[in-house]
Amino acid sequence: MNWLRAISIAALVLLLVPIIVLLYYGLGPFRNPAGYSVAVFRSIELSLFSSAVAVAVDVLLFTPLAYYLARGQDRLAESLVDIPISVPHPIIGVALLILDSPISPTGKFLLGLHINFYNTILGLVIALVIMSAPIYIKSMQPYFESREASAEDFAMGLGASRLRTLFSVVLPDSFDGLTSASLISMSRALSEFGSISIIAYYVLQYPFYGVSPASVTIWEFFSGNMSGGLEAAVTASAAMILVALPIALAGHFVRRRERLQ
Amino acid sequence: MIEASVRKKLGTFSLAADLNDGGFICLAGRNGSGKSCFMKAMAGQLPIEEGFVRVGGTDVTRLPIEKRGVVMVIPGSAIPHLKVDAHLRWGARLRKIPLDEERVAKVKADLGIDYGGRVRTLSLGMRERVSLATAILSSPRAILVDEAFSNLHEKEAFITAYRKLAGEAGIDVVFSTQDESDAKLADHLYVISEGKTQKRA
Repeated sequence: MNWLRAISIAALVLLLVPIIVLLYYGLGPFRNPAGYSVAVFRSIELSLFSSAVAVAVDVLLFTPLAYYLARGQDRLAESLVDIPISVPHPIIGVALLILDSPISPTGKFLLGLHINFYNTILGLVIALVIMSAPIYIKSMQPYFESREASAEDFAMGLGASRLRTLFSVVLPDSFDGLTSASLISMSRALSEFGSISIIAYYVLQYPFYGVSPASVTIWEFFSGNMSGGLEAAVTASAAMILVALPIALAGHFVRRRERLQ
Repeated sequence: MIEASVRKKLGTFSLAADLNDGGFICLAGRNGSGKSCFMKAMAGQLPIEEGFVRVGGTDVTRLPIEKRGVVMVIPGSAIPHLKVDAHLRWGARLRKIPLDEERVAKVKADLGIDYGGRVRTLSLGMRERVSLATAILSSPRAILVDEAFSNLHEKEAFITAYRKLAGEAGIDVVFSTQDESDAKLADHLYVISEGKTQKRA
């Protein structure tokens, strides 16, 4: 008998209990049509859309940082990356609110340019970028670190700067790493609640006018603001899991395959 | 002309290596003798504590890798996603050095590169030929070849051809080997042992 394996499986089951409960009750005894209504699917759509945009921003903005962390020896920057997700998430929502409120100079400036975070897709996406970027970076950094540096050193010897090396040597050869990091951070963005419940409880913009992100909609059912109650909350949660789980699994599967190669 | 005097401590190993020559230089030593460390220090991949590196009269000690004009080639150097021809021109393009067809064709012929396709699909020896040719075509001040000659078949013919091409282009080459008899193909021989160099010929 392999005790390590037994303990590991028990620990894993413990982790998965909430998901199993939601899937079982949501699709079984508690199934409630309000949980898979058009409103729920609109909110899942909004979550998918805003998370996908956030991940696109992650890739553009934070790939260089992940590479910098992987190849430089900047311990300070490395420890700073995690900070946004190590504070209570609603605080980030509050911070964005202050940043773009008429009471702050930055807010006056931004609002003067008609840039509004509150209840907009922009605010939603910015919050999701901040909450998913640390996961993206922490997924890309070890990927870069695990690559042999020899082609990069050669490219730099030929006269390429670090940035040029990243774009011309490393990235064209990093499709697997980029895909898996994107999927993993997308599933992180889909699961975000705290910050977006402050900055974009619902969106007041076409084509999602009056639509809340999926996690907020589930909360709405649970808190009784939307009719359907606990049963609808659990059913909507199960629907959300069915959408989000394949994305998370695909991300890890791609990474796993690339390790095996 | 390469003038290097490098002092570096790495754990219990200490490097105290000197080199002062131009042309085609053989650096011979066993595994763990400090060949790679010395070359990395000259290429700028390993920061040094004391000493200097001058290449062609220019002090490059404090310059980053990409500004030294020193290319180090190791067996894994090739850039995998490029096609052979694009790879060969890559360094020259980076430095905005015009390359005519004729010169590329000559280097390819002299170094036995009669194949194409993506570099990642090639054998190790074929990739090494491509990286070594790319280094020559990028016209650096110096090329440091760390064990990258060792896996080639018809090694002696290749080294002789490489020496001729580098000489014509005025590029100094240092190549490392575990086999001291390779020195017959070089202008100068340095032997390195426990981090210390000794000029033999």
